[in-house]
Amino acid sequence: MTTKSTLNRRSFLQTTAVGAGALAAPALISSKALASSGELNFVGWAGYDNFKTIVFPAFEAATGIKVNFKELPDQETMFGEAKVALEAGGVDMIEPTIDRVGAWNSNGILAAWDPAKLAMDNYLPGLADGAAGERSHKDGALMYVPSNWGTESLVYNKESAKLGDPASLGALFSPDNEVTLRPHSALAAMGRWLDATGKLPRPWMDGYSDMGAMAELWDIALAEAIKAKGNVVQWWSGENEANAGFTANGATVGLCWDSTGYNLRNDGYGYAAPVEGAFAWHQGFILMKNAKNVDQAHELAKWVSTPEGAAMWATAFSSNPVGKGAADKMSPDVSAYYNGTFNDDALAKLWWWPDQSAEFLTKRAEYADKYKAA
Amino acid sequence: MGDMFRRYGKSATFIICLITAFWLLMLVILPNVTLLESSFRPLLPVTEIGGPNDQYTFANYLKVFNGSIDTTLMGIPVHIPVHVLTFTLTLFYSVVVTLLCFVLAYPLSYFMAKIISPKSLPTMFLLLFVPLWVSEVLRAFAWWIILALKGPLSSLLVWLHLIDQPIRWISGYNGVLIGLVYTYVLFMIFPVYNAMSSLDSNQIEAAEDLGSPWWRTHLRIVLPHCKPGIASGAVMVFMLSAGSLLVPTILGSTTSQWFTQTIQQWMFDALDWNTAAAYAFLLLLMCTLFVSLVMRLFRVKLADIAK
Repeated sequence: MTTKSTLNRRSFLQTTAVGAGALAAPALISSKALASSGELNFVGWAGYDNFKTIVFPAFEAATGIKVNFKELPDQETMFGEAKVALEAGGVDMIEPTIDRVGAWNSNGILAAWDPAKLAMDNYLPGLADGAAGERSHKDGALMYVPSNWGTESLVYNKESAKLGDPASLGALFSPDNEVTLRPHSALAAMGRWLDATGKLPRPWMDGYSDMGAMAELWDIALAEAIKAKGNVVQWWSGENEANAGFTANGATVGLCWDSTGYNLRNDGYGYAAPVEGAFAWHQGFILMKNAKNVDQAHELAKWVSTPEGAAMWATAFSSNPVGKGAADKMSPDVSAYYNGTFNDDALAKLWWWPDQSAEFLTKRAEYADKYKAA
Repeated sequence: MGDMFRRYGKSATFIICLITAFWLLMLVILPNVTLLESSFRPLLPVTEIGGPNDQYTFANYLKVFNGSIDTTLMGIPVHIPVHVLTFTLTLFYSVVVTLLCFVLAYPLSYFMAKIISPKSLPTMFLLLFVPLWVSEVLRAFAWWIILALKGPLSSLLVWLHLIDQPIRWISGYNGVLIGLVYTYVLFMIFPVYNAMSSLDSNQIEAAEDLGSPWWRTHLRIVLPHCKPGIASGAVMVFMLSAGSLLVPTILGSTTSQWFTQTIQQWMFDALDWNTAAAYAFLLLLMCTLFVSLVMRLFRVKLADIAK
């Protein structure tokens, strides 16, 4: 009597194909559909390793809340992610900069924070109150709380750069220097430089609130910037390109993030604040309209206002903390770097990026386009 | 189909078809239809989507004519919308890339198909394929390092006293051209080689016996025979170049701009996905038109290429 094997090639193929489908099925139905209590879906910045290795473990140890961290490279991508998450869910909290809050809010993405669940007194003066406080509120509700802040200023080669005396944004447009820029920041720098030297028909800030003024002012800035374009050797859009612009492509001055200057501090490059005032950014947390883990989000925002949390958060970005008492807990390297660039005068002159509406961003991109194509 | 039933049985065939249909529908057709649909809608805040302002419009496509600048095109001063200029330059340089690829690929293919002994062919193929084992990003970035001011090329030439000062090789469209030719030349070599190896060598010998000089043999015998191969290589290289984002982004200079970069700017700088979608379809449409036109000009049919 012959026994026939039940496993032949054909039935194997059939069953495995069905099996593979069955195995894949649970992946299609999210296991997170029923929200658990001890976790938080957080979307933040990519490229800062400390978050996974130091910051979030410390937060989990302190509160028992597990952070599911999704890293994205820039705010535009975060905005896209937020728009998708508005339909699909899965995101509770995102970390944009303060100038985007208006645009995000007008897109219906934001929910209000509950100040009673936070510790608003923890923040350093000027970061969550005053002008920044006004920008954080929409229709009386708190839409944004700070997490850290930093600057965009002149990174320069200590040997060959000619910054002027005192150092000025004009160095970026001087034929004496070879520069690395990102187009839209460069146009803003040109505008502020022209403004400071009295060459604009009206204040540069008008352009951020009035689109008619924007066209008038940016036309002037564009024309001047195109004249000075010959000394631009590299565009940058992220940390790597900026770094390579200096080290491999010979740029001597650039309008770059503080982190670029920090990373190059041992290679003969310095970081200086121009007399017009450094560009400054203000980063913080927003709560998604359809957030599931609302209390956990408040816990994280509150933790980042404590001395320990604020210091860790700022150290991870090599930037500045928002909480009182955090400065003492920062890494000495980062503190020294900042104090070397910003004395009280430079701090008082910081120029915070104003709010930029969706319409403004579209128009700004058009100007950046013309600048690049010229 | 009947053959598939015999081979895999009914249910497996069904599943294979289902997976293929899923792939086509969900990953190719639906995303493109969504893109096409959104390209006709205005950019609106999320709260206004579906509201009275959400009407179909051609406005996104017409944005390509906004914002004119003064420039010179091949020495002639023109007043032209900046995106039309970018588009024209993208098409022009893609044609240049295609021609350069052909110039490089033709002798090499002839060498592989007719001259080299079949024994060394596998080694030849291996040598050609090796670069493909490295990711395209890394290869483009490697070129960026080579061509940078303080890169090895400048250092070598200075060391050899051929130049006094390091040179910034990436200027204008140089870097983009080098990167694109390097990345896509294989897409020209293989179709041309394929066509050439199907040519009976006796024809070449006959031509030589009848006293034809080498250039006439190529012009009258080899080239016409390879036309379908050249056409399919040219179409591939051209479309890939015009649609490339990575190489122009990494190897672009401060004066070069590729149309795909403009699309990316609409997407990520202006956050206007609708206009980005419209621009993407413009690129697809115009490139398809251009390719069909050129194919008609050279009397090549789509069916010839498919062979």
